[in-house]
Amino acid sequence: MPFRADARESRILAVTALLLGLAATLGYLEAVLIPPLPVPGLKLGLANTAVVVALATVGPSRALAVSLGRVLLVGLATGSIAGPTIAMSVSGAVGAWIAMALLANASSDFSVVGWSIGGSAANAVSQLAAATIVTGSAAPLMLLPLSLGLSLPTGIAVGMLGGLLISRVPRLTLSTASG
Amino acid sequence: MTRADIKLLFFLVLATVLAVPASSMAGGNTTGDAVIFGPSGTTTVSLDSPATYVIEGRIGQVVFEVRDGALECTSSTCKDKVCVHMGWVSPGHPVVCAPNGVSAMLVTGPNGAGEGELDAVSR
Repeated sequence: MPFRADARESRILAVTALLLGLAATLGYLEAVLIPPLPVPGLKLGLANTAVVVALATVGPSRALAVSLGRVLLVGLATGSIAGPTIAMSVSGAVGAWIAMALLANASSDFSVVGWSIGGSAANAVSQLAAATIVTGSAAPLMLLPLSLGLSLPTGIAVGMLGGLLISRVPRLTLSTASG
Repeated sequence: MTRADIKLLFFLVLATVLAVPASSMAGGNTTGDAVIFGPSGTTTVSLDSPATYVIEGRIGQVVFEVRDGALECTSSTCKDKVCVHMGWVSPGHPVVCAPNGVSAMLVTGPNGAGEGELDAVSR
């Protein structure tokens, strides 16, 4: 039925846009309010909460759109879009999305917390790999243990927040799952 | 958290722990020099005497100072100043200013370099 299909697509589009707005807002607030940690590219990653929720509710391709859209919007808002660090942000976003999408597809044994842990670790590794290219030296790779170690608690926290959001906002899931 | 989540977390913690010695001991002992990488080239810095090095980065200048036999990033034109907050350059702990494309790390040699003696002789 064309009407039903259109309504479903509209709902998915609306949820995706909502999550993009949430991701951009959280990303901007984190960039403005929380002081940067002394490791390049390492952040709390609150914006990733929306990406985790997007992966669980609207699927991997739209989750990638939320993630990259957030990087673009936060980059525009903070003025970092013209700088070389945008390569690190894009690299981290894509790396995290690949890891989370793989974990989500690999097995139903992983929960959103597992996706988030994997995504956070992949984000840290991808950002340092991009920093290595940007700086033209292997120095950033020496920060890998610190960056990877700090990414794990943030991944757990973001995953738990995402799981809480999914459970407390059931209509978010129903609106797309029921079609 | 599910059992699979805990297994993944354990694997990543193990990877982190295993990466620590690989990072801190990469290349062996320090030689008493540091090296600063920038868009305009590489600068080797002696840590023996106090000095100030101004490196031209992609968006401005990054200033390094040698004090008390150690190298520190003291100012930068980047927005977040992550490099300034990273503190002193130490073994396994470089200072990186990604917006400027500048990084600094200690120069390392093979184990035993700087001590003037061999650890072992194999025949």
